[in-house]
Amino acid sequence: MAYSEKVIDHYNNPRNMGSLPKEDKSVGTGIVGAPECGDVMKLQIKVENDRIVDAKFKTFGCGSAIASSSLATEWLKGRTVDEAYKIKNTDIVQELNLPPVKIHCSVLAEDAIKAALEDYKKKASAGAAQGEKAVAQAK
Amino acid sequence: MPTESKRIAAMRDRLQAQIMETLDECYLNGHQTQRLPHNLNISFAYVEGEALLMGVKEIALSSGSACTSATLEPSYVLRALGVGSDLAHSSIRFGLGRFTTEEEVDYTAKRMVEAVKRLREMSPLYEMAKEGIDLKSVQWAVH
Repeated sequence: MAYSEKVIDHYNNPRNMGSLPKEDKSVGTGIVGAPECGDVMKLQIKVENDRIVDAKFKTFGCGSAIASSSLATEWLKGRTVDEAYKIKNTDIVQELNLPPVKIHCSVLAEDAIKAALEDYKKKASAGAAQGEKAVAQAK
Repeated sequence: MPTESKRIAAMRDRLQAQIMETLDECYLNGHQTQRLPHNLNISFAYVEGEALLMGVKEIALSSGSACTSATLEPSYVLRALGVGSDLAHSSIRFGLGRFTTEEEVDYTAKRMVEAVKRLREMSPLYEMAKEGIDLKSVQWAVH
């Protein structure tokens, strides 16, 4: 299997590997894939004022899967939530030079990004609804 | 041939012991004694086989995954041996030979342990298991 230098670099020096506190209101968590498929990615983002200030990943999968999720966290940091939605798996394939048989790793990374964003949005709107309710009750 | 078999089996057993007595949650695939004397196949829970191979690049090993084929199916042999689908992607096949030395066995064991520990730190499955989550009960979001 010919891995590109970038994939090997991410494998040896993963960026932002780790975890953020899941219960935190500003953190969105996406977990995609399944052990039976040999690929599970956990991607987390911390959002402040609509901007992603931190991102972390943990991955069960091959070198290309690890590199795809590591790269995703690099790209997410500094983007707004809307900008983050624009990240496409094809960008990841291009950046890491993924061969056809590993394209699914980039697809899973894009799914993980979207799952984390959706989770954050769900929590943010639930928080806003609770806030409104409290204000209405206080009146 | 009989002396050679005994010699290799002893080295294989040495490799197995050094790995499985150091790491938790690793499982021997196939029968303990009714197997080829030079063969060892171990599943390392929570880490993926191909990623493990990348971590020990200087050692010639093989993973049970069929990632490079057209499907994502793991080895049908492991499946026939009863290895669960969760562990089938986490297995490594070790082959010893006439010229394998004890030094190489010890080195391989040491490097495997290092690589497994490193990848477990990166594994969301290992993290969930440590939190007490039963992975078999999780509803995975497969796309």
